[in-house]
Amino acid sequence: MPKHYRPAGKKKEGNAARYMTRSQALKSLQVNLNLFRRLCIVKGIFPREPKKKVKGNHHTYYHVKDISFLQHEPLLEKFREIKTYQKKVQKAKAKKNEELARLLLTRQPTYKLDRLIRERYPTFIDALRDLDDCLTMVHLFAVLPASDRENLEVKRVHNCRRLSHEWQAYISRTHALRKVFVSVKGIYYQAELEGQKITWLTPHAIQQVFTNDVDFGVLLTFLEFYETLLAFTNFKLYHSLNVKYPPILDSRLEALAADLYALSRYIDASSRGMTVEAKVDASSSSQSNDRAESELRLAQLQHQLPSSEPGALMHLVADKEVEEDEETRACKSLFKDLKFFLSREVPRESLLFVLPAFGGTVSWEGEGAPFKEDDESITHHIIDKPSAGHMYLSREYVQPQWIYDCVNARVILPTEKYLVGRIPPPHLSPFVDNEAEGYVPDYAETIKRLQAAARNDVLPLPGVGKEDLEDPQNLLYAGVMSRAEEAEAAKTKKKMAELEKQYHEELKKEVTGSAVDDVAAAPVVEGGDGEESSVPDAAQIAQDTADMPTLMMSRKKRKLYDAMKIGQKKKSESVERIKQRKKNLKADQ
Amino acid sequence: MTKKKSEGANEDQTIETKKKSVSAVKSQKEKPVVAKQSLSGSLNSDDFDSDVFDSEDDASQRETEGGGKDSSEDELELHGHEGSDDDDEGEQVDSENEGSEEREVAEESDSSEDEVAPRNTVGDVPLEWYKDEKHIGYDITGKKITKKEKQDKLDSFLANMDDSKNWRKIYDEYNDEEVELTKEESKLIRRMLKGEAPHADFDPYAPYVDWFKWDDAIHPLSSAPEPKRRFIPSKWEAKKVVKYVRAIRKGLIKFDKPEEEPNVYLLWGDDSASDQKSKHLTYIPPPKLKLPGHEESYNPSLEYIPTEEEKAAYELMYEEDRPKFIPKRFTSLRSIPAYENALKESFDRCLDLYLCPRVRKKRINIDPESLKPKLPSRKDLRPYPNSCYLEYKGHTGAVTSVSPDCSGQWIASGSADGSVRIWEVETGRCLKVWQFKEPVKCVAWNPLPDFPILAVAIGQDLVILNTELGTDEEQQKIEELLRLGTLPEQDEAVAAIVSWLPDETYGGIKIKHFKNISYVDWHPRGDYLSAVMSAGETRGVVIHQLSMHKTQRLPIKMRGLPVCTLFHPTHRGMFIIATKKNVRVFNLQKRELAIKKLETGLREISSMAIHPGGDNLIVGSKEGKMCWFDMDLSSKPYKTLKNHPKDITNVAFHRSYPLFASCSEDSTAYVFHGKVYSDLNENPLIVPLEILRGHSTSSDRGVLDCKFHPRQPWLFTAGADSVIKLYCH
Repeated sequence: MPKHYRPAGKKKEGNAARYMTRSQALKSLQVNLNLFRRLCIVKGIFPREPKKKVKGNHHTYYHVKDISFLQHEPLLEKFREIKTYQKKVQKAKAKKNEELARLLLTRQPTYKLDRLIRERYPTFIDALRDLDDCLTMVHLFAVLPASDRENLEVKRVHNCRRLSHEWQAYISRTHALRKVFVSVKGIYYQAELEGQKITWLTPHAIQQVFTNDVDFGVLLTFLEFYETLLAFTNFKLYHSLNVKYPPILDSRLEALAADLYALSRYIDASSRGMTVEAKVDASSSSQSNDRAESELRLAQLQHQLPSSEPGALMHLVADKEVEEDEETRACKSLFKDLKFFLSREVPRESLLFVLPAFGGTVSWEGEGAPFKEDDESITHHIIDKPSAGHMYLSREYVQPQWIYDCVNARVILPTEKYLVGRIPPPHLSPFVDNEAEGYVPDYAETIKRLQAAARNDVLPLPGVGKEDLEDPQNLLYAGVMSRAEEAEAAKTKKKMAELEKQYHEELKKEVTGSAVDDVAAAPVVEGGDGEESSVPDAAQIAQDTADMPTLMMSRKKRKLYDAMKIGQKKKSESVERIKQRKKNLKADQ
Repeated sequence: MTKKKSEGANEDQTIETKKKSVSAVKSQKEKPVVAKQSLSGSLNSDDFDSDVFDSEDDASQRETEGGGKDSSEDELELHGHEGSDDDDEGEQVDSENEGSEEREVAEESDSSEDEVAPRNTVGDVPLEWYKDEKHIGYDITGKKITKKEKQDKLDSFLANMDDSKNWRKIYDEYNDEEVELTKEESKLIRRMLKGEAPHADFDPYAPYVDWFKWDDAIHPLSSAPEPKRRFIPSKWEAKKVVKYVRAIRKGLIKFDKPEEEPNVYLLWGDDSASDQKSKHLTYIPPPKLKLPGHEESYNPSLEYIPTEEEKAAYELMYEEDRPKFIPKRFTSLRSIPAYENALKESFDRCLDLYLCPRVRKKRINIDPESLKPKLPSRKDLRPYPNSCYLEYKGHTGAVTSVSPDCSGQWIASGSADGSVRIWEVETGRCLKVWQFKEPVKCVAWNPLPDFPILAVAIGQDLVILNTELGTDEEQQKIEELLRLGTLPEQDEAVAAIVSWLPDETYGGIKIKHFKNISYVDWHPRGDYLSAVMSAGETRGVVIHQLSMHKTQRLPIKMRGLPVCTLFHPTHRGMFIIATKKNVRVFNLQKRELAIKKLETGLREISSMAIHPGGDNLIVGSKEGKMCWFDMDLSSKPYKTLKNHPKDITNVAFHRSYPLFASCSEDSTAYVFHGKVYSDLNENPLIVPLEILRGHSTSSDRGVLDCKFHPRQPWLFTAGADSVIKLYCH
């Protein structure tokens, strides 16, 4: 810690002793700003807000404990070592000693971040809790072009790509995916792992552009940490599935850029391989070394299975898993008996991830696909063209949005609105609580009715047969019926509310009216016209009555109250605006 | 197979020719150079090398000439070998062989030296000396060698393209001729490029032949004795070895590459072990990003998309107010473009993560209504004025001041139009009118019931008016009081600022002051009367004694501009003065400094009222705040209420009911319940009861005065709209 002069027996106390500015921290750590930033990023140290800012408002304050935490970090030493080593290399280069420089570069000191990860996230749950940013970043870098200028190597991009695929393969395999939302920014996914909701954003699979206003140094430092974190997380997850990590992929599929498919096959294969192996080796457990090897061979054998055999994937998925909650089961069986075929123009990676996660069987147009387009058992053909060429009668041609909407609604929606060439119904965010927001879009209501109808079907009720559910027309009809009922209910509710309001007003009048009656009883009134103005309207009185207690609030509470009121007003205003727009749109039609 | 056969035949032929050439060489043996050549055996190709590439001096050129011819024959022989070895070259080699055969035949036919092209003899000089000449140099006889004609470039190019051997041709600038490399030569060049010995047969690692040792040698080559170093091990070597051994033992030198540790492993093996508390500060997890709403969808409902006008309105906004995200609609998934801010947003998030101070904040998720304090029901606090019962109309200007008489039967009012009126409270009948020339600032009714006189402040004058109410006996007394006989001696200082005069028009007393009077207040006993002149500064407050017709200045020094004054209702000598910022309490009898100073914390005090009990005081200010002071408790306000958006013009306490009121320029009046308990431990109870509206604003002024009825819970308000209102319960 920096030593300042202070009179003997006087200790620095309070905020002055507990917090230090950034430049003080740099001085005490004897590092430059760049290194300090890197350390802060990997160590997860952030500035804190002291109650009293001793040095002024325009400084960044760090807690003294945080800085001493950094000071005892072995990585700091390592970074210093690297720095001096770099100087050696530079010296060799400056002396035109290329050979020495090359030799030195091959022996560069390296560092590892695993200990830091363990330190920052003592339990696995902690790591999962903070995984959102990590996943978003890794998925973003997986689609970035490698760039010399920004010091972004191909190796790292590939690593990001591999990690993201591994993650997706796990999520898909364990059916942990819960929500998908296609936004303008990319595709949001939400998965639930060990009770943690993990949301991440993957950019659309289109060439990304570099902008000039970002500092890649910072981004890459973050990426370095995130890559390590995700690798360890993946290891743990794969370990829980009894699958070897890092996975060994079918090179043929990898070459065809069907990494995800290759991975899922690997997981399926090796997890089954393990179970088989466990049975076999129960008696002869001595050859553990052999076992790993044979397991590997088995896994590789699995890869060599004819890839056009769709059942291989499906029946493996059907392996019973011990801990499965209600929701996972629901997710698993959403697309259970459906077979999908993806056209060339649909976002293949996303759908290859989503469909198996909800129990569907997928194939695509291109090499390495498990089954071909002319397969008779295909039930849905996902297509994103204005019109399909040759159409098979046995399958439905739907737009990709149908899948996402089905996933979010957890029911198989009627496909007729999503058929080829039509403009699909609005895609709604699954992350919004419509009731709390105060505005429910029309399509959300439709979906709700369909969900209710689906639930009715599961509980055998008289009147709603199975064929009713299967026929989308009937389903819609049911929806309409319930809609009419709902409208009626709303009407009665409104009437009730009106009556109630009237009653309240009358009560209020009674309260104020006693005086009014007195006035009426009073004999002569000069300036009779004054009477109307002197009796204010009921709304004003109500307002006054409501405002009266605010006079007695303390200033702090009053400010809080006002702020809350402003917030509520803003929210209701935005809802009003949307409603107004809707009204205008209806008027235009 | 057939080809091979033919090649075999060729070979036979070449063997034959070789024999011939050997014989030829033998025939020319008299030339020493040739002899040397044959001695070195297969070195002949070296000569070619020198011929083509090295511009050797002329003499050696001449010498090797014969050999050159000779070696060309050798070359032929080699070709033959090549052809037999290589299956691939086949045809070409064959044809070559044939060609060379022909040439050989030609050579054999006449092998005179005249046929050889003239060799240049200029020596090792820069060739550019001859650049502009017609000759390239001189031959051995001293004749000029003329330059060859330059071929047309196009022709030469075409010829080159047609010629399959073109790649082997090299232009020799020195002799101005084109030299075609033989196959052997090109191989030689290739070998040299590789860094091998030029000749194929040369063995660089031939077994060593020790010329200096032979079996029957008698004498050693050197008679020097064997040096010692040959026998003892090297000390330095030993040192070096020891050094290495130590390094190895210490582990500084490792022979095999360190085993690569696996990059990833099971980091969180057993979570139960890690539940010990970390010694570090608590970790504050970063807030998660906001989840996208419906409007961020690629295909949102139509109502989420702003209209063109709204988008145009966004353009006009400040950049920070502008919405960050404007919803867009794409009708199909394939038409979504790349999101241009993806990197930027990711970067911003990173910055937030490591640069923003993180604070754990408690977010209250409550209904704002629950913050409101629970107030006692207003029904229980009745009676209080809540509705307008009567209006007193008659003034033509803003009513600046009202004052009810102590019986509650009459009310006096003064207006900006210069009139003072007396009204009957219950009927609203205007009883009397006095008209003055200047606007009336303040009216105040004498608090004694048997002295119905009125103090009116008009400009610089304070007029005591006889209202001519009450019985004859009372009237007599009043007239006696108001008759100015011989005036008592006044102080000089007082005489300078105040003079007592009889009022001619209405028969009262007129007390003329040196500045405009802003406020008048009676002592509860009705004999004394204080007048405040805001502009009078230190002399701004004077106290008149009506019975003695005498005026006193304040015996104490004033600080600040006086705003209003009060006589304490119970304590005789206590006098309260409000200056712009503070309120001071004096004891007039003891003539000492202020007993108490109340710090209001207000910007500008406008009015003040005291509870009839005498311990509580309310102060109204021009910023719309009202302070309640419990004078026994503290010099700081017990409660500050911010109820009016505009200036408070007046505050008032009810004489008997626990009520107080404030009126303001925003043309409202508030009525509060203000109960003071006799138990000193209990704080006063303040409950807002009613907001009285009804006055209209005229020329930016609202309600100018409010007073309670002395007996009933009624409130009089005087408005700038020239109306007086009576609010009843």
